[in-house]
Amino acid sequence: MINLCNVSKHLGEFSLKNINLSINDNEYFVILGPTGTGKTVILEIIAGMYKPDQGEVWINERNVTAQYPEQRHIGFVYQDYMLFPHLDVEENILFALKLKKTPPKIMKQKLEQMTDLLNIKALIKRYPATLSGGEQQRTALARALVAEPEVLLLDEPLSALDPRSKELFQQELKNIHQQIKTTTIHITHDFNEALVLADRLGIMCNGEIVQVGSPEEVFQKPQSQFVAEFVGMENIYTGEIIEKAEGKYVRIASLYLSVRSKLQGKVRVAIRSEDIIIARERFSSSAQNTVNARIAAIIPRGAFIKVILDAGITMVAMVTRQAVDELKLEPGQEVWAVFKTTAVHVF
Amino acid sequence: MKLNHNFDDSNKLPAANAFQAIGNRLFQGIIVFIIFILLGFVFSALANIVWKGLSGFVQSIASPEIQFAIRLSLFTSITSTLICIAFALPVAYGLERFRIPGRRLINVVLDIPLSLPPLVSGVALLLLLGTTGFGAALAEHGLSFVFSVNGIILAQFFIIIPYMIRILKSTIADINPRLEFVARTLGCSQWQAFYKITLPLAKNGIIAGLVISWARAIGEFGCALMVAGATRMVTETLPVALYLNMSIGNLEMAMASATCLIIISIISLFIFEMVGVRQIPASRIN
Repeated sequence: MINLCNVSKHLGEFSLKNINLSINDNEYFVILGPTGTGKTVILEIIAGMYKPDQGEVWINERNVTAQYPEQRHIGFVYQDYMLFPHLDVEENILFALKLKKTPPKIMKQKLEQMTDLLNIKALIKRYPATLSGGEQQRTALARALVAEPEVLLLDEPLSALDPRSKELFQQELKNIHQQIKTTTIHITHDFNEALVLADRLGIMCNGEIVQVGSPEEVFQKPQSQFVAEFVGMENIYTGEIIEKAEGKYVRIASLYLSVRSKLQGKVRVAIRSEDIIIARERFSSSAQNTVNARIAAIIPRGAFIKVILDAGITMVAMVTRQAVDELKLEPGQEVWAVFKTTAVHVF
Repeated sequence: MKLNHNFDDSNKLPAANAFQAIGNRLFQGIIVFIIFILLGFVFSALANIVWKGLSGFVQSIASPEIQFAIRLSLFTSITSTLICIAFALPVAYGLERFRIPGRRLINVVLDIPLSLPPLVSGVALLLLLGTTGFGAALAEHGLSFVFSVNGIILAQFFIIIPYMIRILKSTIADINPRLEFVARTLGCSQWQAFYKITLPLAKNGIIAGLVISWARAIGEFGCALMVAGATRMVTETLPVALYLNMSIGNLEMAMASATCLIIISIISLFIFEMVGVRQIPASRIN
């Protein structure tokens, strides 16, 4: 269990404001945010490289705020791995155990276990400069895990890998976590990475944690414009909640969309572009919003096609290539944009 | 593959004319000429002295005076270089890694001897040790510097310490502090992280610093002259031997001392280049 209580830190151009976080035992927690928002500083404060200006850091019921890094039982993996270049892979991995004067027999066992877990048995006599990014990554992880830390801190561990290795290693990180169950904090700016790995995640913006929740929660119910944009929502509007006899609506310009929410008055409205279906004929059902729109543009985006709609407000719908072909969509056409009541998120 | 762009003729840039081509040739020629003039000048000055010195070299080097000078020079320069590294390493590390208040000012003050004429440094040391209570107190405890071998060591130390600090600072600055930090999360104390990580990674820089400082120490003349004087067979290092023999017109002995110094310089420069070339900043591996 890790607790950050009101942690603030000012450090050059970075500043953390009043961070309150609590991470459960064995949890894989991802901190997600754009580059330059002070994510690394949070890890370095937990690990003891910096003292917070204010606030406290607790690890498993110990207040470690004033402790040195070597007293905190932490494993740290940096984005650029920080392997010791003058030591070979084996010496890197056994570094912590040698410091503790571990008996050679146990060290050998541990080395075996770690190189098995991370699949780097063949590399143990090589020096870091001769390893690929992925191999360095595995070595750094082995070096951090061998000391059986109470917390594992990963600072953008996948961002220096090529897309393919990245995907493979994501799965591996997940498997490793399922085996050893060390409480882990992982930092990234990649939302997909967070979706794959996180038990829970926290979104950071300008030195503040703005939302914490399960990936599904954050993905489906962003609580602010920043989070909505960050998780890739394209349709974000200002609206007003209006109650009518037949139910609740949110009014955006002259458009009335049925919505489920407890909020009142002025709100922000967000609709995921992939939740919008395009139809040539009107078909209505009570659980759906149907909006008349004109196609303003059709923009190919790899596997999907982005259709820009003008419905009084601009809406973006993400549809498959197949759908565009079948419906013979073309700019200027009148169509219907259909989406569920539950696809309309207000905050 | 043929590069064939079918540009319209009217779009063609005007061809470089003959005058421009000659201008370029001339420019290159002048640069190469200047390089060779300087090279010839430096080489002939050194070759001349070595050539002429070599004839009497064996005989001179066997003389008790030159033998004494060589031994004293080696002893003082090695001692001062070792004392120098003992100070420079912690100073460079502290100034690079700790947030010491007034760090920039400290840097400037420690760099002053670098730009000072050695004679001025010598006078400053002489006056500090010869006329103040501080010097007297040291002398009372058996550490007298004025007109003694200790004075040579101190003078050399004073001259070379800024060089050593500079080299070590840039070496340490090249080592990512996060390496030490990772070592600490793995259980190292601050000292252990320094000793097990930064020190081995700074090895090449330390060797380079030692060689450069030692070469400077062995050639140090002005500052040592002020503090320790130039007494035959007492404080007579190689540069002092050169100076004394020159002043009494003993050209052969003077040239032998000079040849010794030139050989030492060339060897140290060679070592420095060897270490310097192989020095990969450890933090930039990846």
